[in-house]
Amino acid sequence: MSSIAGGQGSVLQEVIKTLVVIVIGLLIGMVIVLFISEEPTKVFDAILTGPLPSASTLDDGTVRWRGMTRFGTFLEDSITLALVGLAVAIPFRAQQFSLGADGQMFLGALASAVVSIYLPLPGIVLIPLAFLAAVIAGFAWGWLPGVMKARAGANEIVTTLMLNVIAIQFFIYCVTFLMLDRQAGFIVTPFFQDAAILNPLIHRTNVTWMIAVAPLVCLLAYLFLSRTNMGYELRVVGQNPAFGRRMGMPVDRTVALSMALGGAAAGMAGFHIANAILKRLPSDFPAGLGFEGIVVALLARNDPRLILPAALFYGYLRAGAQVMERTTDVSREMVLVVQAIIILLIVSENLLPRLGQWIGLGRSAR
Amino acid sequence: MQNEIVLAVDGLGKTYPNGTEAVKGVSFDLRRGEIHAIVGENGAGKSTVMKMLYGLEQPTTGRIAVAGQQVRLTTPQDAIDLHIGLVHQHMMLLESLSVAENIALGAEPVRGPFLDRAKMNREVAEVAATYGMNIDPAATVARLAVGQKQRIEILKVLYKGARILLLDEPTAVLTPQETRDLFKAIRGLTELGMTVVFITHKLVEVKEVADRVTVMRDGQVTGRVEPRDVTVAKIAEMMVGRPLSHKPAERRSPDLPASVTARDLTLIGLDGRVRLNRVSFDIRPGEILGVAGVEGNGQAALGQVLTGLLEPAEGAARIGGTVFTGRGVAAARALGIAAIPEDRIHDGIVTDMSIEENFVAAEYRNPRFSRRGIRDRNAVNAATREMIAAFGVKTTSEQTPIGALSGGNMQKVVLGREFTTQPRFLIAAQPTRGVDIGAAEGLRQQLVDLRDAGTAVLLISADLEETIALSDRIIVLFKGQIVAHFRAEEADENVLGLYMLGAERKAGANGCIDQQPEHAHV
Repeated sequence: MSSIAGGQGSVLQEVIKTLVVIVIGLLIGMVIVLFISEEPTKVFDAILTGPLPSASTLDDGTVRWRGMTRFGTFLEDSITLALVGLAVAIPFRAQQFSLGADGQMFLGALASAVVSIYLPLPGIVLIPLAFLAAVIAGFAWGWLPGVMKARAGANEIVTTLMLNVIAIQFFIYCVTFLMLDRQAGFIVTPFFQDAAILNPLIHRTNVTWMIAVAPLVCLLAYLFLSRTNMGYELRVVGQNPAFGRRMGMPVDRTVALSMALGGAAAGMAGFHIANAILKRLPSDFPAGLGFEGIVVALLARNDPRLILPAALFYGYLRAGAQVMERTTDVSREMVLVVQAIIILLIVSENLLPRLGQWIGLGRSAR
Repeated sequence: MQNEIVLAVDGLGKTYPNGTEAVKGVSFDLRRGEIHAIVGENGAGKSTVMKMLYGLEQPTTGRIAVAGQQVRLTTPQDAIDLHIGLVHQHMMLLESLSVAENIALGAEPVRGPFLDRAKMNREVAEVAATYGMNIDPAATVARLAVGQKQRIEILKVLYKGARILLLDEPTAVLTPQETRDLFKAIRGLTELGMTVVFITHKLVEVKEVADRVTVMRDGQVTGRVEPRDVTVAKIAEMMVGRPLSHKPAERRSPDLPASVTARDLTLIGLDGRVRLNRVSFDIRPGEILGVAGVEGNGQAALGQVLTGLLEPAEGAARIGGTVFTGRGVAAARALGIAAIPEDRIHDGIVTDMSIEENFVAAEYRNPRFSRRGIRDRNAVNAATREMIAAFGVKTTSEQTPIGALSGGNMQKVVLGREFTTQPRFLIAAQPTRGVDIGAAEGLRQQLVDLRDAGTAVLLISADLEETIALSDRIIVLFKGQIVAHFRAEEADENVLGLYMLGAERKAGANGCIDQQPEHAHV
């Protein structure tokens, strides 16, 4: 497990190990593609360059960018992934396996929607308010299992999964009965007020200033963990709660706080999806995205500094998979195979020290 | 017969894949019927040699010959087939099973698919009788004393046919009486023609029982002696590489009122067992009160109550008149209580974090190290450097993960952290456990210096020699109760041992200063 204070060497070591694992995963994927595809070069091209826009010069000399929507989807997706990645990584630093990002994200989106639809305020107040509502909803939905764990010893894996179900059903109930747009013809809330919708920075995409918020939140999370007393407590408790207790640290509060902070990040992801991408909430809001956060956190070794690159990589892979599915004879499950191989390699801690040694970075094992 | 060589190692070396040379060119031989001690500090390579003899590790150079035949030991089974047995330092017994079941495990007699319990008990009883070890095969292991459990470990190896016994620090957990019994038992074994190798760093024992001694330092043999020819100090010098000062701490009896007063501390475990029974004692500023006792007689519970981890069911302890027990760790620490935990790795450090972050754990909220919740990492860094210099921690950087340090250096950081808080009361549990003699000497001096600065110290140690050398007064705990109270200069290992085992007890004993400590006459 990487530790922020573990020195530059160990972080670099983890990054290199992860990169090696990613390359191995992709190589294995490519070998499989060679067996199953009639057009392997096209498949490789789709995965590796698919998400990027391409420029073409028209006869009159103007440059036209094609595939901006696709590129936008990649960036939007990466923002969500970075935030849900943090939602998993922060509790994990306190050794809490929170699987609640999904539910927290739903409630964050819902809270933001309530503000965005019903409060007649100007955008300069409305947007921060919607953002705050989402963060608070996520925070609360993370704090709850945190307190249940700290006070009653309730296993957080079980409680967060159950709270997900409650949150999602509550979301569906609200959209179906309380907030339904009867004109729409399907189960969805009304569009948000214009003032509540984030303006795209890139034409024909939903890439908004959230693209700056996600890295900023990662940075704040890093500073919180390394520079504040609470962040220090969180890391100590995560690595050795018995020691934390003997040093007089508020172990229970720290556990609850770690889960709540993770929830806040997931709430932001909900805000991003609601106010930047969908602009209204359908009852079939994309469930399961919260779990992709686990993959991101795993790739980033729970280090907030690495969450963003991990999210971009994974977002790129997902976007490439979509392009591959649309343009070639290989389905996107191929990418799931690659993903599974990468996860397996990362989780096999026994294998990795050897891998580290093999690439000449082995820490001397005594 | 006496001089028949049963096992010889020649130029044995072990280099780990990462380049660490644990053992370099070690040669020695074992004779039939001898007790051969291998002594050395932690990390000297003794255990690695044992592991190679038992097939757990493969040597990179050198040869092992058993009864004149060169052998390759690739698994413990190879060693067992050659009648070599290893008794681990830590007991590996199944507590809920019977003695016979533990001994026969893995080689148990069966009738069809079923265990032949009668035959097993008979065989185990026979083996025990052969080797003069009196033990009831049907008894449940959990009910036995530590010394008896160790006997089972030895029988386990003998049952598998071992003729050469390797004992890894067998006396680490025993009382003086149990140690003596153990020595009697292994002497009995050698008279039957067995060869016993034992690893230890208690040199008095070596002098007492070993026929020959091999001394190791830094993976090499630095001495081969017969203990009757040399002094303990000479062996210690070969081990450490320099002469050691062996003067006991100068005692002081400060004629001050007690700063720490504990009265009637009582703790009931979750299982309803009484873990502490009306424990009362006083400690003056600048005084060390030693706690002797066989492990598991309430020492750990006492430490946990005094540090604020557990709330006493009854009674309280005060410092300067203020109650500090039962109010949580943070409250106790705020009143100047500090603690060196017994289990360093589990409770004393975070192995993956840097020395710096381990050092600051007790005082990170102090305005010196943080303001409004924001850590001042430069201040932490500067204070850590100071501590590293003051305590002589051997490390390349204060950013080094503490887990990469040796046990002694880790403990220096723990002491450094607790001492920097300038405690009024320090609870020091096993402060030198698992630490090299060289480093232990330094740690003890630090403790004495802290005492001289006016701190009241409660010293909980399984090392009786250490308790007697450092303490001003000593209380003995047996089954959660104080059963004796001595002035340290009048205490004697053998007498303490009798109280520790519960063979003797003083009714109504406590560790208060108004109670005249007992004289050590029995």
